[in-house]
Amino acid sequence: MPGAAERGSELSEQIEAFVSRLRGGGQRPRSEDTARQTLSLLRKIIAHGRWGWAGELMDLIRTEGQRMTAAQPSETTVGNMVRRVLKVIREEYGRLHGRSEESDQQDSLHKLLTSGGLSEDFSTPYPSLRANVIEAINELLIELEGTTDNIAMQALEHIHSNEVIMTIGYSRTVEAFLKEAARKRKFQVIVAECAPFCQGHEMAVRLSKENIETTVMSDAAIFAVMSRVNKVIIGTKTILANGALIAVSGTHTLALAAKHHSTPLIVCAPMFKLSPQFPNEEDSFHKFVSPQEVLPFTEGEILAKTNVHCPVFDYVPPELITLFISNIGGNAPSYIYRLMSELYHPDDYEL
Amino acid sequence: MAARGSAKRGAGAGGARGSEPQEEPPPPLQAVLVADSFNRRFFPISKDRPRALLPMANVAMIDYTLEFLTATGVEETFVFCCWKSAEIKEHLQRSKWCRHTSPNTVRFVTSDLYRSLGDVLRDVDAKSLVRSDFILVTGDVVSNLNVSRALEEHKLRRKMEKNVSVMTMIFKESSPGHHARCKEDDIVIAMDSATNRVLHYQRTQGLKRFRFPMSLFQNSIENVEVRHDLLDCHISICSPQVSSAHQRILNSIGVASLILGNQIHMHVTTEEYGAHICNLLMYEAVCSDIIRRWVYPLTPEMNFTDDKNQSYTHSKHNIYRGVDVSLGHGSMLKENVLIGQGTVIGSNCSIMNSVIGQNCRIGNEVMLDGAFLWDGVHIADNVQIQHSVICDEVEVKEKVKLKPHCVLSSQVVVGPDITLSEGTVISLHPPDEEEEDDDQFSDDSGVNKEESKVKLKGTSISGSMLLGRPAMLSEEESESDSDLSMGSEEPDSRAASPQLDDIKVFQNEVLGTLQRGEEENISCDNLVLEINSLKYAYNISLSEMMQVLSKVILEFPLQQLDANLDSQNYFSALLPLLKNWTPLFKNYIKRSSDHLNALFAIEEFFLEHDSLCTSIAKVLMTFYQLEILEEDVILNWFSLRDTSDKGKQLRKNQRLQKFIQWLEEAEEESSDGDQD
Repeated sequence: MPGAAERGSELSEQIEAFVSRLRGGGQRPRSEDTARQTLSLLRKIIAHGRWGWAGELMDLIRTEGQRMTAAQPSETTVGNMVRRVLKVIREEYGRLHGRSEESDQQDSLHKLLTSGGLSEDFSTPYPSLRANVIEAINELLIELEGTTDNIAMQALEHIHSNEVIMTIGYSRTVEAFLKEAARKRKFQVIVAECAPFCQGHEMAVRLSKENIETTVMSDAAIFAVMSRVNKVIIGTKTILANGALIAVSGTHTLALAAKHHSTPLIVCAPMFKLSPQFPNEEDSFHKFVSPQEVLPFTEGEILAKTNVHCPVFDYVPPELITLFISNIGGNAPSYIYRLMSELYHPDDYEL
Repeated sequence: MAARGSAKRGAGAGGARGSEPQEEPPPPLQAVLVADSFNRRFFPISKDRPRALLPMANVAMIDYTLEFLTATGVEETFVFCCWKSAEIKEHLQRSKWCRHTSPNTVRFVTSDLYRSLGDVLRDVDAKSLVRSDFILVTGDVVSNLNVSRALEEHKLRRKMEKNVSVMTMIFKESSPGHHARCKEDDIVIAMDSATNRVLHYQRTQGLKRFRFPMSLFQNSIENVEVRHDLLDCHISICSPQVSSAHQRILNSIGVASLILGNQIHMHVTTEEYGAHICNLLMYEAVCSDIIRRWVYPLTPEMNFTDDKNQSYTHSKHNIYRGVDVSLGHGSMLKENVLIGQGTVIGSNCSIMNSVIGQNCRIGNEVMLDGAFLWDGVHIADNVQIQHSVICDEVEVKEKVKLKPHCVLSSQVVVGPDITLSEGTVISLHPPDEEEEDDDQFSDDSGVNKEESKVKLKGTSISGSMLLGRPAMLSEEESESDSDLSMGSEEPDSRAASPQLDDIKVFQNEVLGTLQRGEEENISCDNLVLEINSLKYAYNISLSEMMQVLSKVILEFPLQQLDANLDSQNYFSALLPLLKNWTPLFKNYIKRSSDHLNALFAIEEFFLEHDSLCTSIAKVLMTFYQLEILEEDVILNWFSLRDTSDKGKQLRKNQRLQKFIQWLEEAEEESSDGDQD
């Protein structure tokens, strides 16, 4: 079968290209695009890869997933999508295996005790598994497309007339959220510019095009202005398992200021940003890019004597967050663990 | 002795193109990577390991270059190796570049015969490896540039101006005094700010004054910018003509001269990083830039080489740790430290701004500041190392102190209890005769000579050449910017006197070349190539070149005729030569100023040889008939008034006047013809 071999090499080339794109990561990619690309790549692996039964397929997905996540640990979306696909495979296998729907969720303590640690071995080959899994992934892709709209739909419940909203940097989800609210209500938005990359400028431009009253201010003014603000609405890169955020740097300042003034802090984030990881130093979610933006390379002599850092993300602890708005509704940070267990299988938390 | 594969592939591609002339997909972007520097800046380190494989933050330099090329969209790279080519080849074959999934196909061309970049370019042309514009880099460039914009500009220029522009050099903005600015590579550039054309390129070489040709400011260009804030990244986008017709040579001295009427353009980047590691100071600077993440995304923890042994975790203060690193009790990694896989560090060490390779053993109470340790280095207790390079498998014994800018090359054993003074270089290889052999042996008593073959040579002179910042340079650093004197009339003795010698030597060389050409019947094209490379080697300007060439050719018959000076004989000897070498002249004489220069040279020659005066008309006639010189210019030259008495006498020569008269008539006729 020369065709298969050719497809195999084509596939590995595509994976390679994706990995190097992730690694390059110069232009900040949209999480949604990354999620979609990961899913389509995984779909290709399932369709063209060599595997006989579910267990083998899961190993295949896992090894490829490990490579992709290792390429850019800060892009947690990739790992999340891999976990979602693994979960899909488990479910489809379970259905074919004749297991009832109810048993696959979190087993009760009693059941866990009585089952005697019998784990599934996924070794029975089912010819229809491939088609079923691909079908389920297609559904996932469709779900992805609607996420931003679903979040934006809830805007009117949270933004009221004549409110002052503060946000930081640029988030597509927040942009859609505010624009949706602006169709019915009048309110004012203050955007922290989010130096050194100043994505806030872009946000302000886009919002003011929709006739939203927008003010840009420097990050240093966050605390001073906070007393006038009714709500803080932000986006995020990742939601961690404990309900904390990995968000654009400056967010922690914002969250602390909001806490001090008891201003509610609302995070708009689709479900695919939920990542079953806990914050710790070794996993290096953080990302330090070239210090060029902080102190330009052209500066000359001073550079030899200074250390310049340019972190991209901030860690925001869960107690500073009031509410998460995801595509399936609003949730408190303390509820995140539950959502997590619905989305991913506990065995897949560690890839 | 080129790799067979590449030659074949080149031919195959040519054939394929021939069969499908209609379809014209954009040709894949190609690159030529020269994995040899053709100089000895890294001696004695480069004796054991080719420069392209020297580890920068534990990754070979050539990997950075290849990653840069791949990231920028290059699909085919030709790696030219010379020194230790087998090692480079082996390294690359093990790397991810030779896997089938690599988007960048790497091909090897090896030959021991390359002596300069010019040789390589000639070979590129001879094997017709490149099909369209290509990127030319050396194997020691670290960069995260994306050249696609420069490439587009380059292509656009070539479309607009019919291939006049032969190359685009890429520069990085960095103000004077920057640590990544290499003293040797410090340049002053005059450019046309409208078109980004490079008008003048000069190394500062520590000079305080610079001379710019007046023509720079007199011709039609509106805005001439003179810049001293640029760093040559040694990345250039070249047209295929570069290799065939002209070979602009980024030779080891790196003088970029302007090519015969062709233009060089430039592209300046501010955001991205690009540096060329030309000496150990640059090695240190670029290494620390990598650790400080200036070259993002080419940072150590990204593991872009996809090598299992190269996975690092990055934590605060730019500390990178490999797998299985053990750090003793009380040891501090302060900042900017990279530690390779399997390295064991003892207790109470203090390490900062350093790179440590794989499987190193470091004892207790060791202080490392700005140390670059390669793989398998053993360091005993109580050692202090500052700003030094320690190569593979070196053993440093107890209580050794290394002052800044020391180099210990592979397998050297030092100590115990010795202090190496600043700029010491220790190697197993004796410095060659060419090196200044001022061997100041560090006293052998303090050096443990366990292995008999271990020779310790501390040539502090070569050390300071490699590493030390000459005091003179650093003093001038601050002033050099303000002291740009442009077109200054004051003669600069330092610059002028060696230049004259250069011209003499150059003239002799050209003469030799032509003699060989005459004896061995070498074709004119090859002569042009040789003369071109000589021109670059001696940094001769085009007008000087013209004068020298004319003079040499006119003097040529004199040598054959010995003392038998007779204008008749002379001319009959000259005629066939001129006929043979017409293409040579045509290659160099393009603009009217070139014509004039040639004429002046001819005039000068005949003034020196009075007895031959009579044949000047004949010579000019021949030049005219061979279409080397144009009649306008000859007339123009003839009517020049401000010549010496001798010149006037020469112009009174009957035959010459007749010739001029004839020319004038001919011109009138032709202009009459036009009017009809």
